[in-house]
Amino acid sequence: MDITRQRTLLHDEAHFARALARASAGAVIFALPLLMTMEMWELGFYMDRFRLALFVAVTLPVLFGLSYFAGFEETFCWQDDLIDALSAFAVGFLVSAALLSIFNIIDAEQSLPEIVGKIALQSVPASIGAMLARKQLGQQDAPNEERRQRSSYPGELFLMGVGALFVGFNVAPTEEMVLISYKMSPWQAIALAFLSLGLLHSFVYTVGFAGQESRGEDGFLSVFLRFSVAGYGIALLVSLYLLWTFERTGGLSPMELVTSAVVLGFPSALGAATARLIV
Amino acid sequence: MADTNQVGRDRSYEQPDNSSATVSRLAWIASGFGLLLFLGSVGVLGYEGLTRHGGDPVIAVTVEEVTHDGNRWHARIRADNSGGSTGAKVRIEGRLQSGPTVLETSMAEFDYLPAGSFQRGGLYFDRDPRAFELRLRVLGYAEP
Repeated sequence: MDITRQRTLLHDEAHFARALARASAGAVIFALPLLMTMEMWELGFYMDRFRLALFVAVTLPVLFGLSYFAGFEETFCWQDDLIDALSAFAVGFLVSAALLSIFNIIDAEQSLPEIVGKIALQSVPASIGAMLARKQLGQQDAPNEERRQRSSYPGELFLMGVGALFVGFNVAPTEEMVLISYKMSPWQAIALAFLSLGLLHSFVYTVGFAGQESRGEDGFLSVFLRFSVAGYGIALLVSLYLLWTFERTGGLSPMELVTSAVVLGFPSALGAATARLIV
Repeated sequence: MADTNQVGRDRSYEQPDNSSATVSRLAWIASGFGLLLFLGSVGVLGYEGLTRHGGDPVIAVTVEEVTHDGNRWHARIRADNSGGSTGAKVRIEGRLQSGPTVLETSMAEFDYLPAGSFQRGGLYFDRDPRAFELRLRVLGYAEP
């Protein structure tokens, strides 16, 4: 092995180690609100095992997609994206396990499924946080042409879905989601739906955050329908999925189900809007 | 502008064409570990789902030890849930009896008793529970 190649390997090793450290920081920062939420510990052991297993299983494709668009390593082929996704999951899992044991939420006396359930549930936001860390906490690279080209329409929808999942997840486990929907009248629910849609549209196109999209040649109605309405639809679907996962849908009348989806759809829509700005 | 961009890339990243050959050992270890944790947690949860799906909580209560803390007698209890689902707000009643006469009752409540797990608590009595008959009863639970 010649010297330059060896140096490249070492360099890469150190570079990857730094990326892992940054990912851990991201996992802690992004998952902290949920790590310190009581409902999350309780859901970790009592929620339906199949729904939890499905939720964890869904995380891996999400991480893979995130790596493709914004991973903590520059990637050039799908194997790299897979390595990124799995590394982020490892980081998220270990960070969750470490913090939960420091908080004494898990200890050796509990049964294995209980411990695994608590950690696995937390590792979903933690590993997404690990993946976002590079973009949010790393040095700002010059705009990357290759990455720009990847932002196709399905890619945009995917990112909105991840943003909705991440922000919606931060509030979905709490009792307040259902409580707020009990308190609201149908008219207030409709107002909240319009507010969510309006904010989603204006966050992306008019307020002028960094990374704001330009409407380009397309007219208002076309962009509004293709991105904002589609984004809100995704936010509502993600909200329903989260409510179902956390077993908040059982025994609700259709009216209450829709209202709680709209309530959770509010943070989800904001997540969908900001995902396109931060990822 | 294009030049500085190029320099920045050279310093921090591999060139695209040889990157697949130089995935670092640390990256393999980290991702292998991730795969293990991922399959492990989905596996454990899926297995639990298959073997413990639904069913009712089956709760058994036992006395672990009896101590005197200076003011009162303290019976440490342990509630085991061997059933298929979690019980919330599990109420445990302890009755101190001498024959058919009930001398004292005390109560403890567990917020959650997960399936396949146990929780500990304590019941207080004015009399020594060991001198009488201590009957433990699970009064009820709520679904979480």
